[in-house]
Amino acid sequence: MKLNLILFVVLIICALTTVNFKHLTRNNYAKLDEENKKTLDLKDQQTVLRIEESAESRIEMIEKTAKHKLNMHIPNKKERKVIIR
Amino acid sequence: MIKIKSRKEYFELSKTRRRIVLLVMLAMFIALFAQAIKLAAFEKNKLQKESRQRQHRELDLFPYRGKILDRNGSLLAESTPVYSIIGDAARINFENKEQKKQLAHLLKFRIADLDKKLQNKKRRAVRLKKNITPGIKIKIMKLKIEGISANKVYKRFYPENGPVAHVVGFTGSNGIGQEGIEMLMNKALAGEKGKKINLIDGKRNPRVIGEFQSIKLPKDGEDIKLTIDLRLQNEAYNALKKAVEKHEALSGSAVLLNAKTGEVLAMTNYPSFNPNGYNKAGDFIRNRSVTDVFEPGSTMKPLSLAAALEKNIVNINTLIDTGKGAYKYEGKYIRDTHPHGVIPVKEVIKVSSNIGSAKISEKISSINLAAMYKRFGFGKKTGINFPGEVSGVLRKHTKWKKIDHAHVSYGYGMNTTLIQSAQAYTVFANEGKLKPISLIKGKDQKISKRVLSPRTTKDMLAMLESVINDEGGTAPLAKVYGYRVAGKTGTTRKYMNGEYAKDKYIGTFVGLGPVSNPRFVMAIMIDEPLVKKGYSGGTLAGPVFSKVMSKAFEWYSLEADGLELEEIENKKEVYADKTKL
Repeated sequence: MKLNLILFVVLIICALTTVNFKHLTRNNYAKLDEENKKTLDLKDQQTVLRIEESAESRIEMIEKTAKHKLNMHIPNKKERKVIIR
Repeated sequence: MIKIKSRKEYFELSKTRRRIVLLVMLAMFIALFAQAIKLAAFEKNKLQKESRQRQHRELDLFPYRGKILDRNGSLLAESTPVYSIIGDAARINFENKEQKKQLAHLLKFRIADLDKKLQNKKRRAVRLKKNITPGIKIKIMKLKIEGISANKVYKRFYPENGPVAHVVGFTGSNGIGQEGIEMLMNKALAGEKGKKINLIDGKRNPRVIGEFQSIKLPKDGEDIKLTIDLRLQNEAYNALKKAVEKHEALSGSAVLLNAKTGEVLAMTNYPSFNPNGYNKAGDFIRNRSVTDVFEPGSTMKPLSLAAALEKNIVNINTLIDTGKGAYKYEGKYIRDTHPHGVIPVKEVIKVSSNIGSAKISEKISSINLAAMYKRFGFGKKTGINFPGEVSGVLRKHTKWKKIDHAHVSYGYGMNTTLIQSAQAYTVFANEGKLKPISLIKGKDQKISKRVLSPRTTKDMLAMLESVINDEGGTAPLAKVYGYRVAGKTGTTRKYMNGEYAKDKYIGTFVGLGPVSNPRFVMAIMIDEPLVKKGYSGGTLAGPVFSKVMSKAFEWYSLEADGLELEEIENKKEVYADKTKL
């Protein structure tokens, strides 16, 4: 009789633990899903930034900046230095 | 009527009834048991599937399509998020007129057009506008208009547009590669779909269930790094564009190879197309450097001459009588543009004599000439595996007549792609070894094949240099300041409708440099220029070669090997060890 009672209590504890862990699993899964969404959003932001960076670092843009903002130019024949080792 | 006399009799009478009842009950149990077995054993899968369909919703998780990058990591293709703005006509509710005005402004609509789109109140999902950028989408969502939502989709974006369009290709509306690298590497770029199972609640809203096994994350596509150098690609495209426009030509193509590794550094065509636009169709979406063939003309002369030198049939000083510019052979005339008289073999390439080439080739057997061409890579695909690549036509030598043999020696009666021509010249840049070419970085390199001896290659290189640097050469416009470069021009009549057109030409140039240690090989083809503006390969393609090569030498910091001594002496700021000159 005593043993039966103990087993019954153990059974109840096991049942409650199972329910609790299932609940925790669900919560964690929901969090994981949220994190995945955040990852995707960050990836999207990274993509947009990468495209912006690629547009800003185009050779045409660099040349334009060098020419107009920094007053640089391609050296002509007289301005070139020839180094022969 | 039967009269029951005792209790015993009553039970005896009910025995039959009881049996009947028992039998009925047994039959019912058997039926139930049979049904249970049927459901559990035979219809298990079907029923479980139905159950899942009712309770669960399977959602595909899409992977990010891989990027396409140039050799230095510059972006050539990327999947970028864009949004479709959806309006629920039944629910939409503007708080005030200003809100509607702002939405119309962000969508670039007139208010009347917006009203028209939303007038049918039965429509629950009206796509107001697609391809909205994330920035605009955020502004729209900040308006907090009831009934307005946004759907995210991914669109392939090609920041470099035309210059690399033929190499990179594009994807269709389904996201599958349709042309170029997008098509060739579709499987690697696409990645693998993931899966997520959601539980549907009473309101049919998807809700997450707590089983980790029910989620499979998508595997993003691989990034593909090409051997293309975007700087050189743009330079080649711009130079090509200038040449095509100046000579009012139909089109042009250019291929630049790294002579040491066989990597394609630039491969471009003009006119090109915008891979970001719609209606991507027509002749100009083909990568004509690998899909279109043409008769290579005089660019083949160095190859036939190399075959003769290799077999010791002639040497560079053997005299060839090219006569007065016309040579009757097998009943047909072979002509030169100018009479050259008796010239040594080394002059044949410089002045591009058809007669000289034909006379030298007479001394080589067809089997040897064809074998040499094959070893140079003609008549078979290059191994670059680009979609639509063709092998060109090099007919079997047993089918050559004598005149065909002569024609083939100066590049008629056969056809090649531009990339084959470029690859063939890697032999002259690598002491006689043909380099396998590649377009994707990191792929296994194949082994070079020896085609010519180093001695023959050295002789050929000197002859090819004379084409550009010596007086009377056919390509003075291909010179590169400060560097020694070599190459060969080709000018061929177009073969159209079964005959050679009188006023339609293809101008080609294949060259390499610096001669002291060749690092680059470049092939250029200009199709159908306006004859009165010049049509020879040297005039059309020479300046393109010069422009691109000078930039390549500069950007790859190659040591100048072509400065004249006087030129250096005239400079004050020179640090030179003149003993080495």
